[in-house]
Amino acid sequence: MSTTGTGLLASYEYLDSTVDAIEELRRAGFKEITAYAPYPEHHIEHALGYDQSPVRVFTLVGGLTGTAAGFAFPAWTSLDWPLVVGGKPMLSMPAYVIIAFELTVLFGALATVIGLFINSRIPNLKPSVIYDPEFSSGRYGVYVQAPSERVDEARRILNAQEPAELREGTEAAHA
Amino acid sequence: MTDGIKRRDFLKVLGVSGAGATLTACSTEKVERLLPYVTMPEDITPGVATWYTTVCDGCSAQCGMWVRTREGRAVKVEGNPDHPISGGALCSRGHASLQGLYDPDRIASPMVREGADFRSITWEEAEALLAQKLDEAGGRSLFIGGPLGPSMAGLVDDFMESVGGSRVEYEPLADAPLREAARIVFGVDSVPRFDIGEARFVLSFGADFLETWLSPVEYGKSFAKMSAVDDHGSKGRFVFAGPRLSLTGLNADEWVPIRAGSEAVVALAMAGIIAEDFGDAGPYAAMLAEYDVRRAAEVSGVSEDAIREMAHRFASEGPSLALGPGAAGHHRNATAANVAVMILNAVAGNVGRTIHFDAARGGSASRPYGDIESAIRAMASGGVGVAMVHGVNPAYSLPAASGFADAFASVGFKVSFASSMDETSAMADLVLPDRHFLESWGDTSPVSGVMAIRQPVMQPVPHFNSKQTGDVLLSVAGRMGRGMGAATFYDYLRNGHRRMHGSDAEFETAWRHALKKGVVVHDGGGQGAVPALRAPDTALAFGAPTLDGDGDLTLLVYPSSRFGAGEFSNSPWLQELPDPVSKITWHSWLEMNPHTAEAMALRDGDIVTVTSPHGSVDVPVWTYPGIREEAVGLALGGGHTGFGRYADGNGVNALALLPAETEQPSGALVTVATRVTITPTGEHRRMATVAGSDDQHDRPIAPAVALAALGHGGEHATEGGHGSGQHMELQGVGGFVPMAAPEEEVSDRFPMEGSRHGEYGDRENTARWVMAIDLDKCTGCSACVTACQAENNVPWVGEQQVVMGREMQWMRIERYYESVDATHAAPLDVRFLPMLCQHCGNAPCEPVCPVYATYHTPEGVNAQVYNRCVGTRYCANNCPYKVRVFNWYSYTDAVPEPMNWQWNPDVTVRENGVMEKCSFCMQRVREAENRAALEGGRDLRDGEIVTACQQSCPAEAIVFGNLRDPESRVAHVVANERTYRVLDDLINTQPSVNYLKKVTFHEVASGEHA
Amino acid sequence: MATSRERGALTHPDVHKLSDVNRDILKILSRPGKGWWMLFGLAAAGVGLFLVSWGNQIVNGIGESGLNSPVGWGVYITTFVFWVGIAHSGTLISAILFLFRAPWRQSVYRAAEAMTVFAVMTAGLFPLIHVGRVWHAYWLFPYPNSRFLWPNFRSPLIWDVFAVTTYFTVSAVFFYLGTVPDVAAARDQATGLRKKLYQVISLGWQGTDRQWHHFGKAYIFLAALATPLVLSVHSVVSWDFAMSIVPGWHATIFAPYFVAGAIFSGVAMVITLAVPIRKVWGLEAYLTTKHFDALAKLCLLTSLIVLYAYLSEFFMAWYSGEEIERTAFWNRLFGDYWWATWTMLTCNGLVPVMLWFKRVRHSIPALFVISFFINIGMWFERYVIVVTSLHHEYEPFAWGIYRPSLTEMGIMVGSFAWFGFWFLLFTRLLPPVAIAELKEVLPPPLRKQSKEAH
Repeated sequence: MSTTGTGLLASYEYLDSTVDAIEELRRAGFKEITAYAPYPEHHIEHALGYDQSPVRVFTLVGGLTGTAAGFAFPAWTSLDWPLVVGGKPMLSMPAYVIIAFELTVLFGALATVIGLFINSRIPNLKPSVIYDPEFSSGRYGVYVQAPSERVDEARRILNAQEPAELREGTEAAHA
Repeated sequence: MTDGIKRRDFLKVLGVSGAGATLTACSTEKVERLLPYVTMPEDITPGVATWYTTVCDGCSAQCGMWVRTREGRAVKVEGNPDHPISGGALCSRGHASLQGLYDPDRIASPMVREGADFRSITWEEAEALLAQKLDEAGGRSLFIGGPLGPSMAGLVDDFMESVGGSRVEYEPLADAPLREAARIVFGVDSVPRFDIGEARFVLSFGADFLETWLSPVEYGKSFAKMSAVDDHGSKGRFVFAGPRLSLTGLNADEWVPIRAGSEAVVALAMAGIIAEDFGDAGPYAAMLAEYDVRRAAEVSGVSEDAIREMAHRFASEGPSLALGPGAAGHHRNATAANVAVMILNAVAGNVGRTIHFDAARGGSASRPYGDIESAIRAMASGGVGVAMVHGVNPAYSLPAASGFADAFASVGFKVSFASSMDETSAMADLVLPDRHFLESWGDTSPVSGVMAIRQPVMQPVPHFNSKQTGDVLLSVAGRMGRGMGAATFYDYLRNGHRRMHGSDAEFETAWRHALKKGVVVHDGGGQGAVPALRAPDTALAFGAPTLDGDGDLTLLVYPSSRFGAGEFSNSPWLQELPDPVSKITWHSWLEMNPHTAEAMALRDGDIVTVTSPHGSVDVPVWTYPGIREEAVGLALGGGHTGFGRYADGNGVNALALLPAETEQPSGALVTVATRVTITPTGEHRRMATVAGSDDQHDRPIAPAVALAALGHGGEHATEGGHGSGQHMELQGVGGFVPMAAPEEEVSDRFPMEGSRHGEYGDRENTARWVMAIDLDKCTGCSACVTACQAENNVPWVGEQQVVMGREMQWMRIERYYESVDATHAAPLDVRFLPMLCQHCGNAPCEPVCPVYATYHTPEGVNAQVYNRCVGTRYCANNCPYKVRVFNWYSYTDAVPEPMNWQWNPDVTVRENGVMEKCSFCMQRVREAENRAALEGGRDLRDGEIVTACQQSCPAEAIVFGNLRDPESRVAHVVANERTYRVLDDLINTQPSVNYLKKVTFHEVASGEHA
Repeated sequence: MATSRERGALTHPDVHKLSDVNRDILKILSRPGKGWWMLFGLAAAGVGLFLVSWGNQIVNGIGESGLNSPVGWGVYITTFVFWVGIAHSGTLISAILFLFRAPWRQSVYRAAEAMTVFAVMTAGLFPLIHVGRVWHAYWLFPYPNSRFLWPNFRSPLIWDVFAVTTYFTVSAVFFYLGTVPDVAAARDQATGLRKKLYQVISLGWQGTDRQWHHFGKAYIFLAALATPLVLSVHSVVSWDFAMSIVPGWHATIFAPYFVAGAIFSGVAMVITLAVPIRKVWGLEAYLTTKHFDALAKLCLLTSLIVLYAYLSEFFMAWYSGEEIERTAFWNRLFGDYWWATWTMLTCNGLVPVMLWFKRVRHSIPALFVISFFINIGMWFERYVIVVTSLHHEYEPFAWGIYRPSLTEMGIMVGSFAWFGFWFLLFTRLLPPVAIAELKEVLPPPLRKQSKEAH
């Protein structure tokens, strides 16, 4: 985010107006757009042109690590202090499959959470002004960071969709 | 510098502890020389066991003992192999004598009565008081005691003579009728020696020779010899004739269920049949004519044919041997019955072959109960000033109706030498606690020609200020100015024996030798002197004895194989030892035939009131197919009231139902005398039994094989190779390969690279411990169970816990009925199976343990690591043999001082919440290995390692050893054609415990656990 | 995530605006009523009983239970399996139905997930309760001790340790992530301390496009991981038995059989909990008979699977001709514990037959009662498997009888209180119904429509 220019935060009652606003802004070449929604809305994501999330890489790597550990660790411990039980081989691989499976899931899940946190910038506890409590209830929001010379254009596009409220402020730039 | 100081302190400490050691090592009283069996010199080596020989005083059998002591404490008793009677084995009662030594209920010091209770006094005062009272009594004193050793008997007799008075000998389960019969028939006033081992056909008329009769351990040994399949593929036959199957009866090949009291007529009828064909009844010929087989059949309730066949076998399958009714058959014609049996033996020509009058038993005087009866009269009539009771408990072991209690109470001054309070000593005015026999000197001569010295095996247990009665009498005599030539009983004893030798030197060597070896055997003189039949000098009634009462059930009161007549009842080991027949612990039960019970709508555990003309008791019913339908059985030994914490309140005293009556002419107490009526109380209890099902459900657990089907069933027979399955060999990398392929090389991937903490040895130098148990020899006597409990610090849990199914014994003698028929003479088939940890190769318990608390050692043993156990109990669930026991509580915390002195220092005491089980006595294996290492690192010898159960087995049914040693005995036994492994064919557990199938005369149902 | 097919799945006269959902759900978080406090007091008392019983057992020894030889496992393991089973439907509804886009899950899954987490918390206690030396229970975890002695990974109990801890972690994470946007919603209405607290719990969630985007993906992946996990966990639990050689335990059918049973009991428990919740919080708009009908059908299906498993077990025992196996199952039906077996068969096989009827499926009281029967039946199923198999095993002479002790009963009952304790707290602290996901299935607010409306 550049530190110059103005931030505009419009909040909408309706989904279609939100989507239209976003599409207009992007067509006009605005880059730094943030949309707010009370629930995951794929129309908005589509409008913003998202593609695959990198979280899946975390999941994959975590899972594979788990699998490897799940086989390696039991194998090592059995050989480290060999104790024969029930006449079973020192390396009872079938038994280790279960350990491997469980660790796959465990590591995979934890890695996924880490991936989520990194990618979506949470936890982020310091309160931000570019937010409206309504966003968690009934309203959609569109925030655009406009360079000073294009503020009017951004305002026009947002107003075109009859926002329930439109806030502006340079201080927002520091958000 | 600090170093120097440290060293000095250290030395100081050392000095102190050293002094401590000496203090404990030397006696606080006059030092007596204790001669250890192996270790010389006598001083105690910490951590190394010292063995002493002595003689068991449990019963009149007087078995020779070894006592294992550690740091001056007796921790285990075992049979003395050099002793001709025990031959190295011991019964449960013998093992439990240790608990008598450490019995917390022993009397702490001499006590004198003060009003209702007692006051402790010094021995000084006590002896002075006794001397004074004896003076006052002026010759009107009485000494009631059990059978005593030669020296002690001599001492007491001298003493009574000097102070004026008489000695009365009293033994609850005396063999008087037998002795009397011997006198009548052969004119010999002694109990002959029965050589069961020599016989090929043994017929017992209710003589419980494997439990209580005369000398159980000795007979256990010879019975095994008789019934074992010899290398010619034949075995002796044992027929049991009686109304109830005792443990002895359960071991019979055939049961002839004759009515109680019909022994005489049956024996005479048999004698008659035999005499007709051959043999000669001498002076009894006329009498035999009178008792023909028809009458015998009527009286006994079995068919004439059965009796005839029995007679023919008895004559033809010789050498035969008939054993007379024991204490369980003491009805009103007991002597007659014994006479009849003697005649039968004589007619069949067994005297001199299986019955020997040389080397006869010494034992008790001739009229035990007769004498006590007159003593009671004397006391009641006020003819006794001082009554002294030693070693017996008549107030309990005589029928209430005998009036002993009242008579005894009426005596002016009553003295008890009991070492722990009992019903009799509770009435005494003066209590002079005797030493336990493991703390005392003495001598025994159970059989003429065998003399054994009893020596103390440890310093007296310090908790109890006891004194040996012999010493007391001597010092009292001294006070009364009637010295008897010896200051202590030890001297008296030695003087006695010195007379038998010439020079002192010679005597000293002989004495030392006697103490070390534990026994002196000199041949019993006249070989094979066969006394002839003589005309009876007494009128005898051979018919069925009369029974009091109008009930329709005959009451059979029999001595308990655990408690005898009740003198062993205060041992928790014995209380918790499952009765070999009923498998019930702690409480009494009434044996009743299932049909009788069904008719009365009674189930196991229903409590009934048993009423005889003489009294009544409430006791739970236990249905038992091994008793005739018109009889009920009740064991002696229960219902103590003042005998100790473990005996009191457990069960009922069967004597309450009996008349105080003596059998004539022997004067023995009558135990089968009344009919009783049974009335349900409507109450029910869960019985403290360890028995689940009595039926094998056709599972391959305790199979048998018919003698005819055997190629050659002797222990050394090897045809047929392995019984079933293959012994598997533990691989270094886990998994198993057949034992029979030693050349197959172990994987070189083992021990694994970087294995730091433990590795499996190579198969050449590691032993493979296995055990073999011959079910054809096992009689189910359960001596091994108590031996194991003593060796391995196995706790007892108490009645309530047993009811909940939490018994802890590492060994369990399973008892399965195959065919038991009380209605007519028929082959009997009951299987006993000692079940212990099978140390499986493919142990199901091992892989399920989450923490490796149980795993497989290179020696093929299934090890249990108590410290690692978390207590998930998964291993126990997965053990198909159910031999793993769990510490539900800290049972060992309940063991009181000084009973915990008995604990074996070589075995961990387990804590609350851990699993435990048989360890193959690994501590004994290690002990032997250490010994071998100390002796120049020699190899272990086969048979050097003996497990506790194996050691105590009279039948020598258990063999333990290294399977990798092809010469070892166990290797040979395992190769026997009878060998099988429990459930192995079914679930491939590869147990290390091999069983040899029981051998039956009758055909085993085809396919049945083949 | 919400597909067009789901759109408008939730239509109710009282709910038109997105904010209505916040209104209806968040009001639940307001001051608790008398009823809640009474229930909470009851639960707390039960937890007291639980702690006293367990404490007594730890001090005196596991002997306080009725366990013995041969029955080394009893009520504790029974209850352990029961609770693990309960847990399963939670994950099923939240994860599996999520992947399959079942249109009706939104309103129930939050409560179901909470149930999962608390049920696993409860179940996890029982392995600790039943061991002989709980103070050494940590030895089951692989930690580097001074002697480098590791646990035995061949033991099903170790598999259990891994499966249950993994299950708890994953389902807790899944549950927590799901609540984040809704807690944010709660935060935006709350004030003071609660606001601060919710701000932390919601990790400062704002609902930006970026957050929703990654959140959605992460959620799918977690669901994808949780789905095989839930199947594996009860399979592993079943292998605690199936891996042994105990007749009646050693059966290949166990894994699927247990999983079906778990879902069966779990769904029943969901019904048991959902019915009162619906009443108390007036969620009739969100929990309609449609939902209960779906749950009932799931019950019916799993009940049929379980019944099939029972019958095939008995059939195979007979068909194998194996004497020991036969005895085991004969004894199950007619032995000392016949009453337990017949209770199980009645509750799990007979009673659910009523669910074939639409009228029953649509009668919420009826479902409530039936769900109780199923809960009881499924507890007894585990009791039957554990106890009847052990008390008559290979060695007839070692057969024995087991009778649960008061301590065991106290702990068993107490565990329900422990579960209720956490569940009641949950209903007060976190939005018990998924606000955001409900909004997904609402018809989205469109300016065009509203124009036409005016």
